[in-house]
Amino acid sequence: MSAAPAALKNTVKTAAQSAGRVAKAAQRTRWRQILERRAKALTPRNPLKRDEYGMPIPHVNVIVRDTAQPRLADHYFNTVRDDIMYMSYTHTPASTKPQRSIRPTYDPEDPYVKHRYNPPIGGHMAWTRKPMSPVTFDSVVELERIQLHTMVKETLASRSHLLGAIMAFRAISGESQYAGGQRTTEGVQIVRGKSQIQGWVRKGIPLGVKVDLKGPKMYEFLATLTEFVFPRLRDFNGLQMPRPGASLQTASAASGVVSFGLPASAMSLFPQIEYNLDSYPKSYGMHIHFITNAQGEGAQNRVRALLSGFQIPFVRV
Amino acid sequence: MFSRNALRAFRAQPKVHRVHAARALATAAESVPAPVAVPGEAPAPTPARSQWKKPVDNKRGEKDIVQTAVILNRSPTLSRTATAFERAYYSYQSRIQRALYNPLPTEFYFKPGSLLEGIFMKEENERERKAFGRPNLNPNFYKKEKAVELLPGQEEPPKLMPRITEADKKKDIKSLDRKGERNLYLLIQGKDEAGENVWRLPQSDVTETEVLYDAVQRELRSPYGFGMDTWVVSRKPVGVWRPTLPQDSADTRRFLFFYKAHILAGQVRPDGKSILDFAWLTKEEIEPRVDQYYWSGVKDMLSDF
Repeated sequence: MSAAPAALKNTVKTAAQSAGRVAKAAQRTRWRQILERRAKALTPRNPLKRDEYGMPIPHVNVIVRDTAQPRLADHYFNTVRDDIMYMSYTHTPASTKPQRSIRPTYDPEDPYVKHRYNPPIGGHMAWTRKPMSPVTFDSVVELERIQLHTMVKETLASRSHLLGAIMAFRAISGESQYAGGQRTTEGVQIVRGKSQIQGWVRKGIPLGVKVDLKGPKMYEFLATLTEFVFPRLRDFNGLQMPRPGASLQTASAASGVVSFGLPASAMSLFPQIEYNLDSYPKSYGMHIHFITNAQGEGAQNRVRALLSGFQIPFVRV
Repeated sequence: MFSRNALRAFRAQPKVHRVHAARALATAAESVPAPVAVPGEAPAPTPARSQWKKPVDNKRGEKDIVQTAVILNRSPTLSRTATAFERAYYSYQSRIQRALYNPLPTEFYFKPGSLLEGIFMKEENERERKAFGRPNLNPNFYKKEKAVELLPGQEEPPKLMPRITEADKKKDIKSLDRKGERNLYLLIQGKDEAGENVWRLPQSDVTETEVLYDAVQRELRSPYGFGMDTWVVSRKPVGVWRPTLPQDSADTRRFLFFYKAHILAGQVRPDGKSILDFAWLTKEEIEPRVDQYYWSGVKDMLSDF
């Protein structure tokens, strides 16, 4: 009597134990499956192809976008743009004489010249006489890019003299070719001679370097210029403006670009350079062009108004 | 052939006035959308002189009431706080950038084996680990406040100013230090036409011999505005509101022209006569304080941000 229940008890116990063991085993299997799945997800099925340097090539084209919000871009979109619109807005009541429309060179109805380039009459400089398009909320003048440019004279003797300028421009701009996988980022470029001048320049030889800054890097450069360089520049009162009665119809006044030069002594004022100025063979001066979307008669003045919103001073001589 | 056809093409075009791609801010909405120029097509012909609209009689009538108001703005002084999504996006892009970029040519920037190189490499390792983690990384590693050990020659890192100021904590609506990320506007408490105390933008009457801009300048140089340096953005108004008030007769026309101005320095000094009180407020804070009819005329000229 007593043995049977004991045996039964044992059997029951063993069944319970084995059931527990089975459950535990099932759990273990489930965990193993989960871990295996995770491990599978982590390891790529096909190993990545390697480039010539042995570095893995990702499956997709990785492109680096903005890594921070540029402070001056915020300032432009929140404050400067509204003000520039209010300053440059022209009120045109219904009684205003409408703008004269300039006819195109060829008759647009004529099928024989349908696909021909058909600019308005007035010659190749007619665009300088064209008034700026009326200001609306979406056509306010905006900075498109900043170009830095320098010519290194010693390059005529040996092109290795360009290396210092290239390094300085890379440090100042932070740009390199195809940086972040962006196809349109050109980085620091070499400028070559355009024409043959006897005893001085030959066509195609390297003469200097230039770099285009766009987007966040452009606004960062603008901030560096107004916060580190201009305040410490000697005898600097501001960018020079033309005399009051100067024509607004010249190419420079109508193309919506403001340019100025920095002397070689200003290079050491950039914080990216002043840290290790000794590493550069010499200091380089540079031309800086602020290129905008404005075009037409007197566009340059509107760009000056825009730049003064970024605290760039202007003086009349 | 060209001359014959060209003239016909221009005559065939219907009368088109100006080409406006979109309505400018601070203008009245047009009932009929303006025609948009299509590139490549013949430009609209200039209408003959007889076809222009006759000039509207802009002379000020005897019963017209013309006033100017100043939208006196303190622009944001702090950069905007990024949203959680923006922060995640920027941090993701920063990690991609760190993974893709060429390593820094340390031998160009540092003397090999120098102290500065050591400091830089240490910080760079920290940044690298923060971006990509490391094996068996303790998740609380970066949460702990670690005592910063300064190496000889290393400067104390600068401390950031707080983004929330005393004025924010005390909810002082008169301070210009409040709400650094937002546009603030000056609202004053004065008497309205019916003699009641109301909150509104600073405004003044334009006399018969005065231009609008001069009335604005006069208002900003009045006793209460004398303590401020201000800059009026343009000589033209940025908007107009034509209210109809219950006390006006049928032929009374009211014009309230708005000018935008920035405060550069100083503060309002309430004199207790022309203005009783003032406040620097954001757009949402203005709405409950002003009359709803006034709000309908003003709200589109204030920045949401």
